[in-house]
Amino acid sequence: MKGNENGSTDLNTRINQSSVRLLLCTSGWVTTTAVVAFGPRLWWEFDPTMTLIAIVLNLITGAIMLVAQYRHLMSMDELQKQTHLEAMAITLGVTAIVTVTYGNMEPAGLLADTRPTNILFVTGVTYIVAVIVLWMRRTSE
Amino acid sequence: MKNKLKVLRAERNWTQADLASALDVTRQTVNAIEKGKYDPSLPLAFKVAALFAMPIEQIFSHAEDA
Repeated sequence: MKGNENGSTDLNTRINQSSVRLLLCTSGWVTTTAVVAFGPRLWWEFDPTMTLIAIVLNLITGAIMLVAQYRHLMSMDELQKQTHLEAMAITLGVTAIVTVTYGNMEPAGLLADTRPTNILFVTGVTYIVAVIVLWMRRTSE
Repeated sequence: MKNKLKVLRAERNWTQADLASALDVTRQTVNAIEKGKYDPSLPLAFKVAALFAMPIEQIFSHAEDA
């Protein structure tokens, strides 16, 4: 019986394909998000119809990205899947706590300007760190 | 949960990558199961049992029973 360095070829092929799909879908969502953010001011002078079309496109590409994310998760093997699901649970908790604390800072007079999008940074970093730590804990030789 | 995966694999001269390939999981998953850091799902445990042509309880056992 022969395998390759990382285990199953089928599994690796599956994960690679779903990763590429996820990358493309995420790129599409980021692009349409940029169009919604900058388009009204730079390209169509706040025309409400154009803005509405851009928002609908942004929501559609967001939904497509979510489906790609789900399929990517389902393409993983069970340890990878469990690691990512646990990381998502940790991320959800951390995001909720940070959001409440961050949201209270402006009314408390500690911050002059709070932006909800800043929370995305915390969410992203937490998820990446959680995946790495959980994976290392289980797979260290 | 304890298991005899490492012994059974060694008896057949299989590498972790060989076993991972046969089970359609990553090599890291096989390593984690062998070291008791991860308990496989029931479908994967049955797949292991089928691969080694042994009853599942001869491969996996509760830690206190082993």
